[in-house]
Amino acid sequence: MTHVIPLDQLAPDATRPASDSSVSQATDPLTTHSPATIAALYAHIPFCFHKCHYCDFYSLVEPANSPHDRQKQFTHRLTSELHWRAAQTDLRPRTLFIGGGTPTLLRPPLWESLLDTLHQTRITQNVQEFTVEANPETVTPNLMTLLATAGVNRVSIGAQSFDPHLLHALERWHDPANVAHAVHTVRTAGISNINLDLIFAIPGQTLDTLHADLHAALALEPDHISFYNLTYEPNTPMTARLKNGAITPVPEHLEQQMYEYLLDELEAAGYEHYEVSNWAKPSRRCKHNLSYWTNDNWLGVGPAAASHVNGHRWKNAPHLGRYLASQDQPPTADHEHLPTARSVGEQLMLRLRLIDGVPHTWLDDHLPHDDPRHGAITRFTSAELLERTDTHLRLTRRGLFVADALIQELL
Amino acid sequence: MNIRNFCIVAHIDHGKSTLADRMLQLTGAISDREMRAQLLDGMDLERERGITIKASAVSVTYKRPLAQAGEKKKGGATEEYLFNLIDTPGHVDFHYEVSRALAACEGALLVVDATQGVQAQTVANAYLAVETGLELIPVINKVDLPSARPEDVAMEIEQVLGLPAEDCIYCSAKTGKGIEELLEAICDRLPGPSGDPTVKTQAMIFDSKYDDYRGVVVYFRLFNGMLAVGNKVRMMGTGRTYVATELGKFTPKMTPTKQPFSAGEVGYLVASIKTLDDVNIGDTITLDLDPADEPLPGYQQPQQMVFCDFYPAGDTQFDELRDAIDRLHLNDASFTYAPQSSDALGFGFRCGFLGMLHMEIVQERIEREGRTQVIQTAPTVTYEVAMTGGRTMQITNPADLPDVSNIVEVREPIVSVEIITQTESIGDLMKLCESRRGIYKKQQYLSDNRQILEYELPLAEIIYDFYDKLKSITRGYGTMDYTFKGFRADNLVKMDILVNGQKVDALSVIVHRAKAEHRGRTLLVRLKKEIDRHLFEIPLQAAIGGKIIARETIKSVGKNVTAKCYGGDVSRKRKLLEKQKEGKKRMKRVGTVDIPQEAFMAVLSVEE
Ligand SMILES: Nc1nc2c(ncn2[C@@H]2O[C@H](COP(=O)(O)OP(=O)(O)OP(=O)(O)O)[C@@H](O)[C@H]2O)c(=O)[nH]1
Ligand code: SF4
Ligand SMILES: [Mg+2]
Repeated sequence: MTHVIPLDQLAPDATRPASDSSVSQATDPLTTHSPATIAALYAHIPFCFHKCHYCDFYSLVEPANSPHDRQKQFTHRLTSELHWRAAQTDLRPRTLFIGGGTPTLLRPPLWESLLDTLHQTRITQNVQEFTVEANPETVTPNLMTLLATAGVNRVSIGAQSFDPHLLHALERWHDPANVAHAVHTVRTAGISNINLDLIFAIPGQTLDTLHADLHAALALEPDHISFYNLTYEPNTPMTARLKNGAITPVPEHLEQQMYEYLLDELEAAGYEHYEVSNWAKPSRRCKHNLSYWTNDNWLGVGPAAASHVNGHRWKNAPHLGRYLASQDQPPTADHEHLPTARSVGEQLMLRLRLIDGVPHTWLDDHLPHDDPRHGAITRFTSAELLERTDTHLRLTRRGLFVADALIQELL
Repeated sequence: MNIRNFCIVAHIDHGKSTLADRMLQLTGAISDREMRAQLLDGMDLERERGITIKASAVSVTYKRPLAQAGEKKKGGATEEYLFNLIDTPGHVDFHYEVSRALAACEGALLVVDATQGVQAQTVANAYLAVETGLELIPVINKVDLPSARPEDVAMEIEQVLGLPAEDCIYCSAKTGKGIEELLEAICDRLPGPSGDPTVKTQAMIFDSKYDDYRGVVVYFRLFNGMLAVGNKVRMMGTGRTYVATELGKFTPKMTPTKQPFSAGEVGYLVASIKTLDDVNIGDTITLDLDPADEPLPGYQQPQQMVFCDFYPAGDTQFDELRDAIDRLHLNDASFTYAPQSSDALGFGFRCGFLGMLHMEIVQERIEREGRTQVIQTAPTVTYEVAMTGGRTMQITNPADLPDVSNIVEVREPIVSVEIITQTESIGDLMKLCESRRGIYKKQQYLSDNRQILEYELPLAEIIYDFYDKLKSITRGYGTMDYTFKGFRADNLVKMDILVNGQKVDALSVIVHRAKAEHRGRTLLVRLKKEIDRHLFEIPLQAAIGGKIIARETIKSVGKNVTAKCYGGDVSRKRKLLEKQKEGKKRMKRVGTVDIPQEAFMAVLSVEE
């Protein structure tokens, strides 16, 4: 279903039921006052040269000799969406993140046009952190120089593993040797802030191979490491194989040991653990992703990109064809605006993922005295799954392992 | 007027309701346009499940062509017959519906599926009809099916029921073939009613239903005398009196009639009766001013065979559950209910049902029609407990079993089970019955390769999975019927279940001592499967009189945390967790453990 979500109407006190899919100018009491401030902007580039088997991101593999140059059409449409958004509101985020898909698959001239637009619209004006996601195979000196010149100051490289067997298990097509090469290329281009994405609990993985992966990654001295427990997302080939018994998942106790191992080793290597799956060198936490967990306003552009503005969540429809065919506001889906109590639950879900936890002040402001969640918090605190520091309520190390089971009770 | 009062009885699914459809259509009671399959199955659940749950009475007029010199012509002279027919349910749980219907009739159509032959409820219902003194017309239905073997089935009917094979009428309720012949047979072979309109009024109440506008609607069969609107009527059993405000017939709509009813007729009565509990099925209606000397011979009240508790679950409050049960009871007085409280589950109701299907249906209706969520405990039977000091008590809840020191013996209900099966399955079925403490009674040939096997079994051993086992042993061909015999003592003890050290009274079961260890172990293994892992370890124990006889442990959750949660994942992730939380609401929290509905039913698993 398509509906227009005028950004400048999404003021903080907008109370609109999630089911209300049409926002009418006439009936909406919030017109132009209190326009939203956007802290983060995400752009989704929906192309990959191959579909990895665990992946449930929205991305398409365009045949090499495709007669339709959808990359070009897409870039054109993306820039038009950016122009429309920038005209609609004061769009000067603190962070920019271009993800995918495989953004680095976009041809350099198309990149130039995208970067130009970001500058012309002055979207980049206040940007402190500008990240681009890269696949190790597609990191070229040429492109990296282009990005660096345009202000990109952080590159996130999808390494996943350095073990060919494990990469094969993921149906991830790249030569592990290229990761080091990519890191070098990025640095040479003058971009110093580098993240490596890694995956653990890959079928066939052992503590030994995990150790090898971790140390291969540490040898490259990244500023930031995202180390994800492999997730079997619905409707992926990996999950299908799991269901029909073709793959044996890593047993839970081993997953547990692996995570324990990472918690210890990464800290010993000087990385601060700041979110369930994220570690950073001091002052290198990802500002953009922090916006997600602290419930800032962010805007997504491109198909499948999600947005959150003043409690409203929606996403652009995950459909390139419909995206290309649209004008101004792309087709959207899943618009929701939660009532306060549920929104507090959602924020707890997000904030408790941060190792620092939830500030007591935030809880005082958001959790009424008679909220039943106080009871659950007390119960979890005495069970030593949650703990109170001077400033925050946070998960204990044991709580971290079972965060979902615990957060459920707080929703 | 020519009247024929008859009911249609058969084994489940042999085509009673479809046959009633054809009769409604052929007599013009229902136009082709209004027709839909199993029209008399009006309840949503009946339509969804494709079975009849409640008997329906309907009156139709058959214009019988007058046979002149052997020729029958359309448009020729006709003679009118009033048919009062009652479609009955086939499932064993609703036997009592059949016996009521029979009491209102002089005849019965015994329908037998031409592909399946005589089955357990065919035999049970046929005997019931004969005992009630009814004339039977055997009807072999579904002759249109390629696998129909009507002649063989006719032989079975002759062999087992003693009804001459040549008396069978072959028909197809689907295509309409043979229906006219059947209508003729009804006129010729079934007796008309024999009552006397000039003597004192006696009408038998054979059913009742609740109507939102009229209150209770009483279905009656007038045996003697007359009955008219405005009459002050007296229910002879309860002594209550009412003024008849409406009399009518089901055509099949409720159609009020002005003329008084006269002996032999069937109809309904409305008289400002508030609840179904105010009328007793089987009671006799007479006139208050000129009462009959004696009531008609009544018949047995339905007997509740299985019992379980319903407790509110999820967002449902106790009051809401009570309202839902009250309301359903207005429509179905054949289940009983009484307040019950459980240490583990709080306040709820102990309910009694005619059988497992009945229980399932009541639960579904309470949830659906009453918009509630319930937790149901495992069904049990009634036990008779002989106490020291000579007192005897009936308990329907294992948790109520007194301390062993006060018990002389515990008796359980025994049923006589009749199984009809292919000869090749007899050996395995006997093994099954023996393993359920059965006592062999007899075996009888039905035809060359089919037999009737009779066993006496404790009801508790058959209520849950016995029928499923029977079906799988006989590859779907076996059928069974059971009738209550009486109570018999055995070495029965109460086994308690402790979850996380806490006794969960709703999980207690009464078991045979010799089977207790095995039952305890399998039960805990099942429980372990049904109860999700928690944030802590949960010990499970089975105990008899404080002595632990089996134990298991549910390990705590090791790792349960989503690796990724970025912008686009937020809503999805939250919804997933909310859904899991919602799922827990259907569970019952005992202490700090969430126990799902399935766990309460786990106590039924007899084998692994
Ligand atoms: N082919 C064929 N199918 C029939 C015939 N009569 C009934 N059926 C089918 O048999 C199934 C059961 O028919 P019902 O009329 O519901 O049977 P019933 O005896 O009323 O069943 P219960 O009330 O549940 O005991 C339905 O699918 C009917 O369509 C027939 O003469 N021929
Ligand atoms: S490269 Fe990334 S987005 Fe593309 S298919 Fe693989 S995991 Fe998915
Ligand atoms: Mg029926």
